[in-house]
Amino acid sequence: MSATMALVFGIMAVLPLFVGGTAHMMHILIMCLIWAVVASCWDLIMGFAGIFSFGQVAFFVIGAYASAIFSIQLGIHPLAAMVLAGLVTAAAGVLVGLPCMRLKGAYIALVTFAVHMILEPFLKSGMGRALGTGGTRGILTIPPMELFGITFAADNKIAVFYAALALAVICSAIIMLVIRSSWGTAFLALKDSQDFAASLGVSAFKYKLAVFALTSFLTGLVGGFYAHYIGMLSTRLLGIDLFVMLMIMLVLGGIGQFPGAILGAIMTVIGNEMLAPLGAYRPLVLGALVVVLVLLLPDGIMGLLRSLVPHKVAEQVRQG
Amino acid sequence: MILEYLDVFISGLTNGSVYALMAVGLTLVYGVSKAFNFAYGSFYSLGGYFAWVLMVLVGLWGGYIVVFALAVPFLMGFGFVTEKLIIAPLRKRSDWEVKVMMITLGLALFMDNGFQVLFGPRMKSLPPLMEGAVSLGDIYIANQDIMIFVLSVSGILAFRWVLNNTRIGMAVRAVAQNPAGAKIVGIPKNRIFAATFGISTVMVGVGGILLAQKYFVSPMGGWDILVKSWVITAFGGMGSIRGGLLAAFILGMLEAFVGYWFGLSWVLFALFAVLLTTLAIRPQGLMGKWG
Repeated sequence: MSATMALVFGIMAVLPLFVGGTAHMMHILIMCLIWAVVASCWDLIMGFAGIFSFGQVAFFVIGAYASAIFSIQLGIHPLAAMVLAGLVTAAAGVLVGLPCMRLKGAYIALVTFAVHMILEPFLKSGMGRALGTGGTRGILTIPPMELFGITFAADNKIAVFYAALALAVICSAIIMLVIRSSWGTAFLALKDSQDFAASLGVSAFKYKLAVFALTSFLTGLVGGFYAHYIGMLSTRLLGIDLFVMLMIMLVLGGIGQFPGAILGAIMTVIGNEMLAPLGAYRPLVLGALVVVLVLLLPDGIMGLLRSLVPHKVAEQVRQG
Repeated sequence: MILEYLDVFISGLTNGSVYALMAVGLTLVYGVSKAFNFAYGSFYSLGGYFAWVLMVLVGLWGGYIVVFALAVPFLMGFGFVTEKLIIAPLRKRSDWEVKVMMITLGLALFMDNGFQVLFGPRMKSLPPLMEGAVSLGDIYIANQDIMIFVLSVSGILAFRWVLNNTRIGMAVRAVAQNPAGAKIVGIPKNRIFAATFGISTVMVGVGGILLAQKYFVSPMGGWDILVKSWVITAFGGMGSIRGGLLAAFILGMLEAFVGYWFGLSWVLFALFAVLLTTLAIRPQGLMGKWG
């Protein structure tokens, strides 16, 4: 797991040497890293914890809006705003997670997706405007991050890239540690047989609420990073095509096959750029792609790799 | 004043009846096969566009009777084939439930954008089922509303009759109660899964045709319906048809009155509040059986 991750992030780290001059290429790489974290968080809650949360994009947007609002309305440093936004998103995650504790399967998907559906009218409503979401127009002037005399703005993409890389490495390391810790074992037990795990003293309530809090915290943090990098936000982020794109990342990488989600995110963002010439047909293709990938690649790229590499070697790679 | 309330009440009643039809379709599939269909809203739009193509684009002779006569087999076949092609192959896997949600979400994006490419982003309107209105003193009830109510209620009754009195209905109930037992006595389980998917597609598609005359057809219009059908299903209880009916009328009324008093933008918040309260206090819904 760590070997694959080190390899992927290592390759990412040297890429600016080759494409650092092209702003557009750097933008794609930054988005790869941002989505890698969001997709990995989704994998942690859905693939490992077995909670059908469909609120991942909603948490990302909550984090992005919260960070932008904190830095604009309260005038605090973007880094502090990002962390605060992460905490706000974690609170939102726990709030959404609480009713989900008593629910199973499709009901959880229903509640979390309802949060996604309701977020757009909320951000556009009078209540949202009072909070500073800018209503239909969105938020247009979000101050960029400044640290050690470097401005991490859209015109300084190499700096933003390395900041995003650091963030992605930290978040992925946290996710990996969680999966490898007793948490990960508990999730596995709860997913396989909740009743049996509970009888052994594994508290489903504690672990599931904690995973809601952790994944929404990291997602909100990255959402804040995205807001300060892009500099403007609107409710278009909540469009169903972005949601489906995130889903493609997970399906392509393999659900519950971390670090597959990271690979999936990178491939999806790059693939999506290559689909850009399709224009209005792009979402059509994305939709069809989900159907085809779910049917043909049930365990994603990671599953495919594992089935190609002989079992012992794969085990060694995973260990080392 | 009282007349205005009566108008709102009638609107709640007609919408509620169509919601009931659609929510029953959603709960049927989940109750029988545990498959959750995220593309349900797109099937709603499919019905609307099917009627629009026949009525407006082709200008079909015979009006709505012919449209319904053609729509039912078309929607049934569409649902059946969709289930066979993209949902049945997933059933072998342990994580198929979430895969079904994902694949139908992909299908929804595909269909919505397909509609947009084929028919353009602008809303389409359909001619009313029936012109004119019935007047009872000062009260006017549009014939269209009466027709919508009668058709959706008879649709639900017809479905109940099929479920309770025919061999296929009994087979559907058997599979819902005990899939393994049904298989042992020789019920073709997989065909029943596909058939229920087809029936639910008919129900939501017909709902789409009925509501399209009042609210237009648009490529993304189905998402609202998906959310409403969901909330009704959860509120009434997953797998319970009677609960779904009751919930649909309650929420139809709620929607009409919240829209009237506070404005339409509040309807979604009100539905969400109902959903959360239900799940917090009574997770199995009004009449649902848990699981």
